[in-house]
Amino acid sequence: MATRVITIIGFACVIIALFALEIIGRRRTTRIPTLGEWLGYLMRARAGRAAILLGWLWLGWHYFAR
Amino acid sequence: MAADGVSRSDGRLGRGPGAPRLPAGRRWVRKLVIGAGLAGYAWAAASAAPFTSVALLCVLLPGAVIAAIAIWRPPARIPPPDRLDVTGFSYWAICVAALFEWEASAFKDNSLWWHPALTDLINPLIAPHPLKSAAILLWLLAGWALVRR
Repeated sequence: MATRVITIIGFACVIIALFALEIIGRRRTTRIPTLGEWLGYLMRARAGRAAILLGWLWLGWHYFAR
Repeated sequence: MAADGVSRSDGRLGRGPGAPRLPAGRRWVRKLVIGAGLAGYAWAAASAAPFTSVALLCVLLPGAVIAAIAIWRPPARIPPPDRLDVTGFSYWAICVAALFEWEASAFKDNSLWWHPALTDLINPLIAPHPLKSAAILLWLLAGWALVRR
């Protein structure tokens, strides 16, 4: 039981950190980019664009088709 | 997804910066119609049983639409930043790497009950039909947000 709880807490911590980064990134005085900004930066190249969109498609397949 | 400090196109039809603009009222109507359509699609897609061809089609169809839009009718894109602060981005990289590492360790252990993968935790959460519909709608909106980047 304890191990399962630790695993869930681990996931929760990382996900909370990701949300925190997004919130911090929206402040004007920060060097941290928002999710949209760094994804946009990666998607400047055609390969990056294709990879990100394929990742989005994989996410849908993984959670909604399986 | 945020775009602070990044210019947005407002109400453009999406075929380049010179595209004509709809009147504000019609823009709202268009948004409402598209939103209702997406919500309806999400609701219908959520009723597809997993591991069936219907469920697969429900995912592949938006994928094909997004790909077609990205290739043949690209919308006005939100300009990406010219450069990315390496230190600032490193925080994101660390968190994403930690998420993948945590997930990979669950896979390595065969995703046992005491060390579940993220999928094992999320699937029961989105099992109720309304929540699965909301998740699919969110996924569709994320796809649209990505194609505008």
